[in-house]
Parts: sequence; C-alpha cells; structure tokens
Amino acid sequence: MAKSGVKTAIIASTTLLTPTLRRFVLRAQGWCFPVLSAGSHVLLGFGGPERMFKNAYSIVSRKDDGSEIVIIVRRAPQSRGGSVFLHEQGREGLSVTILGTANLFPIMRRARRHVLLSAGIGITPFLAYLETLRAGGMDYVLHHFCRPEEREAFESLLHGQDSACVHIHDQLPGAAGLREQLANQPITTHVYYCGPEGFMDWVAGAVRAVGFVPGKVHSEHFFVPEGGQPFAVVLARSGRTVNVGADETLLEALEAADLNPPCMCRGGACGACAVTVLDGQPDHRDHVLTEAERTAATTILTCVSRAKTQTLTLDL
Amino acid sequence: MIAQASVKDSYRPPYGVTNSPETILRFPFPFPEDSYMYSMNVEPHVRGGPVVAMQNTFDIDEHYVAECTEKARILAEDPRRCIVMPHMREAEWDFVELAMETLSEQYPDYFALMRDGANWHWTNRLLGLEQAFVFGDAETLPHPPFEYMARQMQGDFTLHDQREDDLWMDGGMVTAQADWSLKFDLGMSFRQWHAPVPKAAELGVFDRGLRFLLMLQHGKPVRRLNWTMTINPRLDTSPENYLVWGADRASVTPDNALDKVHLRVELQTLYRLPRSHAILFSIRCYLLPLRDIVRVPKWGRRLHRVLGALDPALSSYKGLDLYRPTVVSVLSRYDDGAELTPGILPDLAQLEDA
Repeated sequence: MAKSGVKTAIIASTTLLTPTLRRFVLRAQGWCFPVLSAGSHVLLGFGGPERMFKNAYSIVSRKDDGSEIVIIVRRAPQSRGGSVFLHEQGREGLSVTILGTANLFPIMRRARRHVLLSAGIGITPFLAYLETLRAGGMDYVLHHFCRPEEREAFESLLHGQDSACVHIHDQLPGAAGLREQLANQPITTHVYYCGPEGFMDWVAGAVRAVGFVPGKVHSEHFFVPEGGQPFAVVLARSGRTVNVGADETLLEALEAADLNPPCMCRGGACGACAVTVLDGQPDHRDHVLTEAERTAATTILTCVSRAKTQTLTLDL
Repeated sequence: MIAQASVKDSYRPPYGVTNSPETILRFPFPFPEDSYMYSMNVEPHVRGGPVVAMQNTFDIDEHYVAECTEKARILAEDPRRCIVMPHMREAEWDFVELAMETLSEQYPDYFALMRDGANWHWTNRLLGLEQAFVFGDAETLPHPPFEYMARQMQGDFTLHDQREDDLWMDGGMVTAQADWSLKFDLGMSFRQWHAPVPKAAELGVFDRGLRFLLMLQHGKPVRRLNWTMTINPRLDTSPENYLVWGADRASVTPDNALDKVHLRVELQTLYRLPRSHAILFSIRCYLLPLRDIVRVPKWGRRLHRVLGALDPALSSYKGLDLYRPTVVSVLSRYDDGAELTPGILPDLAQLEDA
C-alpha cells in the first residue's frame, strides 16, 4: 500500500452500538499508527466512485503495537453524507485513507482535577481521556448525558470504568444538578466538554455563570460542515473562478480545482485553513475567529465557512 | 560519518577545538543573502536537504564525545542546568523514544536500540554505554529519562507544554546557550521568553511563529537557523557564567580576530511529541572560527557584507558591538565584492589548503 506516502487502512470490524452510533476498528496496512495523546482525532478519507469524503473523528483507542485504532461514528442524516456512507457501506474490508492525526483537545497536565462532560457522541474523546487519567493516577470525574433509550449502550461502552468517577445521566444537565456540581468544584479544576451544539451552549453558559476562567475550560465541537447556497470564489492571484456547490465546502471546491490549500481539522476548530478575504462577505461557521475578526471579515476558514454574498474574492 | 570516539577538543581554557575540512563544509551557514533581518525562516525538517548537518533528525559530528564530556562537566558544576517540571513526565519519555529511535536508525554504527515490548536495551558505542531499562519506568535508568538521553546528545533541548493557546517552557537541559538561562526562562510563555529580542515582535514574527507552532503535527518537524557570535570556542556562554566569559568580548584585535571570533549557528528543530502533546525544541550549536569560514570564499564575503550592514539593534542584542567593527575590517580583506549565489551552500566540493 505505502505508495508515495499514502497511508491506507481497512475496516477490520464494525459494531452497531445504538441505532445512530457505530464503532469501527481500523487496521493499518503495512505501517503503524503513531502513539497518540488522548483527545486526538484522525482525518479519514473514504467514499466510493460517486463521492469522496474527508472527515475527522476522535480516536477512542490505539492498540499498543500501533496496528489498529478505534473510532465511533454518529450517523448524521442532515450532513453531506460522510457518516451515512460509513454506516451503510463501511463494512469489514473497506479501504480508507488516513490523511493525518492531530490533537486539538489535549488533557491539561497542570490541572489538579479534571471534570469531563459529554453528551451522546461527545463521549468519544473522553474514552481516550479515561485511559490516560486513570493510568496517570489523576483526579477526574466524567458526567455523560444521553437519552434514556441509549443508557444501556453507554453503560456497556463505559463498562469496567471506575464507577466512583464515571456517571451516566439520562436526564438533561440542569435536571441532573450539573450546575451545582460545577459550582462546587475546587479552583484548580479544569472542565472539558464535548457533545451536540445544544449541550455545548448549556455547558458554556453554566461554566461562565459559576465563574470558571476561560483558561480552565476546554471544549471540542463535533462539527460537520453543512451545505448552503452555492457561491463563487475569485482567486485573486490567478484570476480563476471556482464555484462552490450547495453540498460541498469551500475547501472541497478548492481541492477539486486542483489547488492545495492548507487545512488540518476540516471542522472549523484549528484555524489552519484560514485564507485572507479581499472582497465579499463571509458566512462564518467556525469556532476559531474572534468576534473582532468576524466583524472585520478579512479572514475565512475554508473548511466550514461559506459566503453571504454571491462572490468572495480570496488571496489565493 | 565522522564522529570520533575520543575527547580531543577543549571548550574552556586552554581552548583547543579543531574542525576537519568535512566539518567546515557541513557547517550550516545561516545567511542565504547579503543582508540579514528576522523572518519566519521555518521550513520542514525533512531528511536529505542540501546541507549535510540537516540530513539527520539529530546531527552527530566529530565533536560528539567532546561536547557530551563538556556537558557532563557543566552539569556537575551546576545541576540546575537540567530542570523538568513534574507535569512533563510523559514528554520525557516521548523524548527518549524519539532520540533513541532516530539515532539508532540513522547512525547504526554508533547507537543500537533493542525493543521487546517495554523492555528496551540501549547501546551508545561512542560513549561506551549499555543500558537495559523498562520504557515508562524512570527507576530503571541511572538519571531521570529526559536527563539520561539529553546527556548523550549534542546541543540543548527544551520541553514546551501547550495550553491556553500558548507554549510554556516547562523543562529542558541547557548547557550550550547564547546568553540565556533555563532557570530564568523556566515556566515562561512564548512571548515572555522572547521578550528581550528586538524588532521581531513589531515584524509580527512571534505572532506568526506561535500560531504556526501551536499547530505543529507529530511526524512533521520543522527547523530554522539562528545565529550569533562567540569569542573563543566556548559552548557555555550562559548568564550564570557571564563573569567568566563576558570580558572576552573586549579581547578581540585585528591580529587575533580570525582565531578568536566564532560564528555561532543554532540549527533549531521542533517536534510535536505524541504522548504528551508537548513540543520538543532542539538547539544544536555549531561554532566555526572566522579562519575556517574564510576558507569558503562565498561565506567569507557574505559574512563581511551581513555584519557590515547589520541593524544596530540586532548587533547590540547579540552582543557584537565591542568587536563588530574589527571583524568587518578584518573580513574586508576576504571580500572582493564579487556577486554571490543565493543560498547557504559553500559552492565548493573541497577546501583549498588553509
């Protein structure tokens, strides 16, 4: 497989955890997955003749010899089809490309206590966290939130964890008393949270309300870039025009036009794909730019953001 | 390869460091142009670049044994040249793995690593070391893991924790530094430890550099060259020992400049460490006296032009003011004004006789 540095893996096995969550074991073909820090994600390339996808997924675990990693994919019907493809066609033996691994959600090693808050698919980075925190003898607690009908699936996923440190709730965070829990944490605590956007907004509000400083609050958004109105980008350096379709991202359109723009997480979280906007109004959908940068509208993250105007002129 | 298994150099009085023709030609001369200003001169640290000193992950040369011996002496005199904060424990093992794997793969004549699960066996033939240990168990090594390995490598190393969108110098072993101190900088953020550097902040170099490094990925290290000048072949020009070496700057004369004045180049490489998500910063120091530099005509001419036109703020920050006019005057004898090729290569296959 190792032709010109392309790293391939196959789906070694797959298990349906809940109607929307599917676990995949990916086995490297002729190379080894590097050692990974908890919170890392893998950028996966896959698809069929009609459509190729490049999606990032949190890595749940890595086998000690580097031969395999485990990911869990949530079926997101409103997305552009990557997760649906994996759920429907991601069978044993399917070949995928490993485009890279990186960590945008690492454990803060100076923290004296780690509070992990997740909902639904947001559990995935914390499955890796739990191993590291437990092995390191660190002080931690996980509160996981799910629907009542999913409780059993998450109990089985978290089976074998220290029950004093891992709690599953099948009610909403407010009803479960999470705000009070957060208010009572010692000041040396760091909070990490991951889950659907509604959950993210609730936790963000709660930690702010009980007085956590921003440096002690860490989050990772599960962000699947969504489509929108088609628009055109003018590449100022070459004068070329590239059309962005309704169900593709700006980054994908640039790649399809044989440009090689920078990128890493492909989910609006790392900032690697930032490009200067010379004209037009970006429709910002990322988690990186500050309010001031959004207002200035001179930078766009091509992996998730789109255009409010029919045309954007980029410094490319 | 050219490492030698004996100590023949002295990096303190009476000084005695000699460079073979091969060592001179593999020197990473830092000036691609006739003038110099700070820039984001960062490039991927890929093997097989044009400069021999950049062709391996960690460069080993003929001064290896002498530099490791000097490092051991400095650590014996001042053990606090090596400090690692407790939260960097995993980064220590990341460093051990990176160093042992790359050295044994790239210099199989000198280093060997046998791995059987967590049971590792390390051989360093140049220093005559054999060590069986359990990876991850610090009790099985004679020094803490980072210190154990950094003692066996040329150059300085620092470990940087990443948090709050910043890098924090939370560990290191620093014995060959150009007038900065780990004890002073330990625990500082990226902008804090760079604060004394003139001009670069205004140029936006630090903002861009930090943003770039925060996204550094495992397996994709980067490198840059930095430089200053040092009087005498002295590795340890530390603030701790300023009273020992500071006065040397006033000792340069037209007669002794070629031998006393050294161009000090740092091949700086940066690595994302996989377990800890920390960053390893490696500062590999090369010292070459003007007498050896002018044996490469392109380098002698270019150094003359760079030093002559150097920004006064940089000259002052690098501590060159006392002797720069003398050096420029001496080097003018080696600069006929000929146009030079761009880039840092010597443009020579071998040296003329000295």
